[in-house]
This record gives sequence, C-alpha cells and structure tokens, in this order.
Amino acid sequence: MKTLTLKIDGKEIEAEEDMTILEAAEKLGIQIPTLCHHKKLEPYGACRICSVEIETRGKSRIVAACCYPVKNDLNVTTRSPKIDKIRKTILELAAVTAGEDAMGEMRKLASEYNADLSHLRSKTPIEPTKCILCGLCVRRCIEATWDSVIGFIGRGTKRQITLYPEKASICTICDYCHDVCPTGKITSTGPDPPFPQIDDILAGRE
Amino acid sequence: MTVNKINSAKDLVDFRRIIIEKKDPLEPIIAVNVSTCSVALGALKVLETLKKELEKSGIKEKIRIKEVGCAGLCEQGPMVIIYPDEVYYFRIKPEDVPEIISKTIKRKQIIERLLYQDPATGKRVSHLDEIPSYKHQLKLLTKNNGKIDPKKIEDYISVNGYTALSKALFEMQPEQIIEQIKTSNLRGRGGGGFPTGIKWETTRNAKDDPKYVIVNCDEGDPGAFMDRSLLEDNPHSILEGLIIGAYAIGAYEGYIYVREEYPIAAENVFIAITQAKDYGLLGKKIMGSNFNFDVKVQRGAGAFVSGESSALMTAIEGKIGEPRPKYVHTAVKGLWGKPTCLNNVKTWATIPLIIIKGGDWLKSIGTEGSSGTAIFSLVGKIKNTGLVEVPMGITLRNLIYKIGGGVKDDKKFKAVQTGGPSGGFIPEKYLDLQVDFDELDRVGSMMGSGGLVVIDEDNCMVDSARYFVDFLLEESCGKCIPCREGLRVLSKTLGNICEGKGEHDDIGTVEDIALTMENASLCALGTTATNPVLTSLKYFREEWDQHIKDKRCIAKACKSLTDYYIDPKECQACLICLRECPTKAIEGEKDQVHWINQEKCEKCGICYEVCKFDAVKKLSGEPIPSKPANGMKPIRKGVKQ
Amino acid sequence: MVKLSCHHCGHSWDYQGKTKYYATCPNCRYKVRIQPEKPPKPELTKRDLEPRKTLTKDKKLIGIAAIVNRVIERYQHDKSMLIQILLQLQNDFGWLPREMLTEVSKQLEIPLNRVYQIATFYKAFSLAPRGRHLIRVCMGTSCKVRGGDRILDQMRKKLGIEKGENTPDSRFTLETVNCLGCCALGPVITIDDEYYGNLKTADLEKILSKYS
Repeated sequence: MKTLTLKIDGKEIEAEEDMTILEAAEKLGIQIPTLCHHKKLEPYGACRICSVEIETRGKSRIVAACCYPVKNDLNVTTRSPKIDKIRKTILELAAVTAGEDAMGEMRKLASEYNADLSHLRSKTPIEPTKCILCGLCVRRCIEATWDSVIGFIGRGTKRQITLYPEKASICTICDYCHDVCPTGKITSTGPDPPFPQIDDILAGRE
Repeated sequence: MTVNKINSAKDLVDFRRIIIEKKDPLEPIIAVNVSTCSVALGALKVLETLKKELEKSGIKEKIRIKEVGCAGLCEQGPMVIIYPDEVYYFRIKPEDVPEIISKTIKRKQIIERLLYQDPATGKRVSHLDEIPSYKHQLKLLTKNNGKIDPKKIEDYISVNGYTALSKALFEMQPEQIIEQIKTSNLRGRGGGGFPTGIKWETTRNAKDDPKYVIVNCDEGDPGAFMDRSLLEDNPHSILEGLIIGAYAIGAYEGYIYVREEYPIAAENVFIAITQAKDYGLLGKKIMGSNFNFDVKVQRGAGAFVSGESSALMTAIEGKIGEPRPKYVHTAVKGLWGKPTCLNNVKTWATIPLIIIKGGDWLKSIGTEGSSGTAIFSLVGKIKNTGLVEVPMGITLRNLIYKIGGGVKDDKKFKAVQTGGPSGGFIPEKYLDLQVDFDELDRVGSMMGSGGLVVIDEDNCMVDSARYFVDFLLEESCGKCIPCREGLRVLSKTLGNICEGKGEHDDIGTVEDIALTMENASLCALGTTATNPVLTSLKYFREEWDQHIKDKRCIAKACKSLTDYYIDPKECQACLICLRECPTKAIEGEKDQVHWINQEKCEKCGICYEVCKFDAVKKLSGEPIPSKPANGMKPIRKGVKQ
Repeated sequence: MVKLSCHHCGHSWDYQGKTKYYATCPNCRYKVRIQPEKPPKPELTKRDLEPRKTLTKDKKLIGIAAIVNRVIERYQHDKSMLIQILLQLQNDFGWLPREMLTEVSKQLEIPLNRVYQIATFYKAFSLAPRGRHLIRVCMGTSCKVRGGDRILDQMRKKLGIEKGENTPDSRFTLETVNCLGCCALGPVITIDDEYYGNLKTADLEKILSKYS
C-alpha cells in the first residue's frame, strides 16, 4: 500500500492510499464533526457537515472529508470562518424537518457552532419529525439483516423512513438503530414518533 | 428479404453505389414529417388522409410516400416536402390534402398559402434555403434531419453513412482516433463542457476490464429537445459515433439510456440497432474486422436527477438514480466499478464528422475555447421557435433577432435563460456576448444542454426564479441536507415573496442558503441550483425590492399582487367575459358597462384572454379606480380589427 | 457449537445454546452477535446472467405471480434490470399493486425495501390504480412561459381533482410531467399516447369530450 503525504491544518501526516481525509485527520487527533458517518459502515456523504476546504495545485474547493480519498500534496483546512458558516447553516437547515428539540450529537454540534435551530424553521413551519434522514439506522439494519425492517422511500422532500410490517417479525431488537441515531429520535423503546408503516403512506397518497 | 452482410470496406462502397443507382432523382416522392412535434399538431391524421386520397385519385403507384424527421421549424408543422421539385409546405391540415394532390402533384402548381411566410417581410418562399433563419445557420449534425427516413438504414448509407466507421476500423489505430478527437478540442455537449479527448484517453488508459460506453439521452432540462430530435430523426449517426468510440477506448458493451418521456425516439433507435445488426455493422465481427460491440437500450423512469452521469450509471445498475460523490472520476470507476465513458447524444453524433474531415477542421469552426457548432432550442416568447444549429461564437443578439425573428408579438425583451435549471438569466446588456462555454460561465449562467428560453416584459423575474426552484425541489433526490432542505426553504421564501408576504431579511436568508448549497452539496444539481435565483437577484434587484417593500409586481404576473379591472371607457358590453368567467365575478348587462367584483375574482386571467377590445387591464401596486355609475352605457367605437 | 468472543470485555467462550442471532456474554452480560458482522452482500459486482430455474417448478403460478414470472423470465432473472422489469409491469398491468412488488422481491431475490425504494423514487411508477385515461400536463419552462399553469388550473377545475388524483368515475387521472420535449409548441398535454400542442383554454372541453 503506497503511503502519501498531505497537510491537515498545517501539520504534515503520512497516510495510506485508501484512507479518507476523515480517517487521516483522526490519526492526527483532529476531530471533524460528522452526523451520518459510522466507522463500521461505508461512507454515505449525506449530512455534509464534515465539509472541509482542500487546496491542490492552486485551486481550492470544499469537499466532504468522509468520502474524499487522500492524495499527494493536499492542503486541508478543517476550520475557517467560511467552513464554520457553512456548518452552522447546515445545522439550521437540518432542524427544519427535525425540529428544535433534537438531542444527541446534533444538539452538541449546534451549541459548538452557535446554530439557532429555530431560525430557518420559523420561515418554513412543518411538523417536526426529529429525523434528519442521515440513513444510519437503515444502513445498520440492512447490514444486520439484508432484508431490513425499515427502509427509505420517496424522493426529495417526500423522502422518509418507513416500516415494513411483514418484516417487523425479524426485528431482533438488537438495539443497533438506537446506538447510531444522532438526533435521539430512536430511543431504547423504539422510534419516537414511530416510523409510519408502508401501507399507511401508500393509502395517504391516494 | 435477405440482406447481404457488409463484410469489408469495399462491400460498403459497393452497397452504397447500388442504393444510389437505384434512386431516381426525378422520382416523385411526398415526404411527411412524423416527429413528435408534428404528431402533436396532427401529422398522423395528415398521413392517413394522404394515403386514402392517393388511393382514391388512382395515382398511388406513381408517387412514393416517405416518412421523415423534422427540419427544425417546429411551430410550422405538419410539414410535407414534394420531390422532385423540393417544394416545402407548412401548417398542413387534412383538408388541404386533396388540393395538394390535384394541384401540386398532378399539375406541378404551387399553392401559395401553404408556403412558408417570413414573419418579418410577409414574403412567401418555397425552398428552405431561402428562409432567413436558415441562411445564418451552419448545419453539421442536423444536416440530414428531414431528408432521410430514420427507420431505413439504406437512406443513411446513401448520404455517406458509416464511411467514418469504415475509415476508423480499417485505416486508423485507436490511439490515432483519440489524437484526432483531442486535436479537435471537442467539449462535452451535455453541459459540463469537459474535453472529450481527455475523457476518452483516461478511460482507455484505466487498467481494468471490461470497459463501457454510454449514450446519455436523459434530457431532463425543460425547454431542451435537441437530443430527442437527433435520436428520432437520425439515430444511425449516434450509433456510428458510439461504435467508433468503443473501438478507440476498447469497450465491447454499450448502453443507450433514453428517458421514459421519449417513446418515439426509443422506438427509432431500437429499429436502427436491429437493422445495423442485420447488415453486420453492429455485433460480432463488425464489417468483417476483429472488433465486436453490442448495444442495449435502457429506459428511464421519470427522474431528472438520473441524467447526471454517476446517477445514470447507478440507475443502469438497477438501483435508485442517486448521484455519487465524483471524487474518483467515472472514467476510472464507473458502471459496476469499471472504467466507463459517458457522453451526450450530440457529442457522439459529432464523432463521425471529425473522423472524416479531421480534428483540425472542427477546430477551425467556433471560438478558441469552444470548437464546433452548438444546437440550441429557441423557445419561449420568440417568433421562430425550433432547433437551430449555429457555430460557437455567434452573439446572442443574432441568435434571438436574426435567426429567432425577435420577441413574439413585438413585446419588450427582458432576459434569456440558458442552460436549463442549472443556468441563469442573461439581461439585455449582455446581448452582444459571444456564445460559448466560457463566456456564459463568466456572466453567471452556463451552456448546459442548449436550451434557450426567451422572456419578455410580461414575465416576472421572481416568479421565474421560483419556477426553477420548484422544479428542482420536485426532482432533487433528497439525499444530502443542503440541497433537500435548502430548496425547501427557498421555495417557501420565494412563494411568500410572490404572494406579497415577503420580509426584509428574506434576501439575506436566500444568499446564506445559496452559499451553503453551492459549496456543500453532493452533486451538480445542488451546487448549480441557485444559479437562476442568484442571477435574477443580481440583474433584476429592483423587481425583488418592489415585491418585498411595495408589494408590487411590474410584470403583473404574480396572481396575488395583480388585480383585474375593466376600463369603462373601452368596454363594449359584449357579455363575452361575463359568460366565460368561472366564478361569475363580472357584473353587467347587454348595454351596460361590465364591472369585476374584486371579492369574487380569482385572477385566473380568462377575461383578459377573451376580451377583443383590450378593455380588461391588469393593475399591480396601484389602487383600483372606483366603480362607475350604475347603468353607465358603453362608449361605442367603430369595429376594431 | 460456535466460538464467540465478546467485544465489550474481551472474554471468549464456546457457545452451545440454541438462539440464532445473539448470545449473552457470561462475563459482562452484554449481547454478542453470533453470525459474522458482514453478511454476504446481495449486490453482485458482476451480473449473474445464468438463466435461473423458476422458484416454483412444481407449483403452478397463478394470478399476479404468473404475470410477474412471465416478465422476469423475459429479462432472464437479471437483477440489474429491475427498473426495466417494473416499467414493463406498469405498462402491461396499469399500476403496481402491493402483491406484485412483494412477488418481484421474492422471485428476483432482491430485498423488499430496495424494490419499494425504486418504485417510489421514480415518477413513472404508480402504486395506486389509475383511471381509464391518463392526462399528463407538461410543466416545462417553455410551456409555463406560454401559459401552461393556466391549462393546469383549468383542467383541475373542469375535472374537479388535484394533481395525482383520479376522477370519481375513474375516467381520467391527472398528472404533471416535467418536459415532454415538444417545447416549441407549448403548452402541450398528452392523453394516453396522443399529443395536443399549441393549446388554448377554449380547446380543452372539445379534447376531453373525445374520451369516454
């Protein structure tokens, strides 16, 4: 495995070819915030909170640290006024569906980046679902059971998580979905508010 | 009928000679345009009537009916061409058919009223080359549209079709082909403008097997239909380019992805593939060489986002068409993780021309940064709508006024929107811009797929920006937070502004969200989603301020900010608007001036549309004048045109 | 009997119990997985093109299962052609009922959540029965700029239904579509497979009366 050198926040580090910026930064002890990432699952890239600024060959752009593979002579900046502003807006945008009283990882990040979770929510009042559609619970369930109990349906703003009643019998109450939920929607007794069942959603569409 | 397979370059030349010898240049043919646009205007009925009438008049054996594609003047359809004199008739109705047969076919007399009429001069022309908008075009890719039958491979071969394939297979090596493409500086016509030669080289050099080539005909851009026209009217040109590309890259399998809304295009390309296979131009041992290549047609299912290259590959794999982060190029890791080369329909159609005439020839057309021609679809409020093919570097002014004929109904030009939902609005001050990839980027828009929508003074800029945001809201895949939630908030904010509920900090919110979406979104849909909003803000700021502060829409297009009012001095009391009004909001009688009851008025605009005396006026931001005295009589005028 | 090792405290032991998925660590009482962490991935990296034997060679398939089987056989049980298979079923049958999607999942051996994800992601699929005639109003840029929303409003008023609904007598279903590709003749609608271009609101009544 080839080793490459890159700079993160001014410090040089050697990383292997198949590492991502997030893993390389972790080696250095730099914490990049994430919401939809789990070290045992494939990187998903949905929350975009891990956005960092990279600069290579004179051009700079913003990429997601959890998916971008390390390259030689990369210059990474993990905190700057622009990145902080972007992360703050992402948290405020996530709160539009999730609601102001999200707990867990999201509440921690919101206080760190001074995000006012009710700012954009006041412009777009909708029923809060406490879910930011990070997909961690679905991915964990698919990984554990292949034919999972919950899944994504729909597209765009109609995207949501639904429960398949015929598969609910294989739910082994393994608690994995509770372990990974970053907003505290899934408690130890299950999701609250509960995931709608597929038949209800389809009937509601008629 | 048995077909002789073409097994060498000489076979093709001989076959072409036989077809051309069989053709009689003086043979009477009547060609009917049956592409989708003409069908929408009734072409199939014309064809049916034609067949019946020819049978009735007994000359069915003396004249051949041919079904062709579109020549580009979409709004003038249905069109027929009568050979051998090559007379073009437009706007044909089934009732005109007997007259055409008795006059033009039997007695070679031209029917004046069916000829093309130039909207500017009123002159009638009988041949396409005399039409002003045609003279300024440079037709390379669309040269044969309207002349050949897309369902007959013999027609394509007779116009030098598959010569480029023969030259590439037997006289050139793959590296030489890629060298020619690189010299020509051809840039991807799908919108990204990435140099095609470099993409092909990267795919060829990637060390993995097997490789794939894909034709992207998922033209989701509303207002663009160039790919549909090319695929419907000349599918073999794309097939030829694809086979040459596969030979250069080293791929043995290809896909053509056609979206679900284009049934005729998918059918024509399927017929083309079957015919090419029958003649040995596709499949195993193409033209007797050692090269095998097969193609499959895959249909889309109604998602604009799956037109993005990585999303398209995910859709072909059978999963949902969600884009993937393109940090590793799809030319290295694409379909099923293998090197894949995906190009747009127009890019593939240009390849045969480059092979025959050389890369330097294409470089000599167009500008320094963008070579070749561009196909634009001129739509919106313009006189000559349709497809035009022009060399890169033409100014917008020439495109809209010389070729397009100017704004419809001679209204005032406001802006032109390029590039679909990822592009931006270009105001009047940039009309002398030379159109190419880099210049359009410079003013905040982009070339995109080539759609060009003209907007006049009756369209509101805030409403137009809201239209694009709503379109993308419905089409976004919803995976990443900035795009999904950002579009949701933008749509609500813009909707509020158009309804008069705008707040002073709305523009600040819009700009904040635009910054996040531009930088942090997963795919190009999210990063370019704010281009229409930002260009509309930049160039038409006064309209936004008027909407928010004065609650006024100067274009009078936003329903909630517009009131309808009947001018008592113009009204002729004809009772038409009274009958048409769906909510019965108009009061009045036969000899009494009409009046709109504002409480019942739903602002649907029907009265404005049906009034023949221009008495219905639209007001915005102004108080409605008070009601005239009861029983006021109309002021009679002479009969108005 | 299977060898297990607890990820929490590190204790290893031979598990002899009967439960299939989880065992309790005798040391710290934490739940420990019995099966390996990653089950074999159902997505194949190379397509499986061997024609598969049908799942029920003895039982005769009837009804929806037979319809699904006929289409799947035509595509040679290729999992990557799921979208094309669903498009064919939608064309033949008119809509995709729940039982049909469950059958597709069973016969193609694809997880149910993936079949539903695809059926709800794409707009071409309809999971509710449709009327006899499908009206699609084009909402592309050109059609809108030339008055497309007025046509949609008139349709909604005349039929009395909203976008995506059926009329009470199941005569029509109203849908919108994003760009049919006839932009030069906006506004455009299609009913079943017939196109109508250059529309004015006055033409609608005549066009609708042609369909029973």
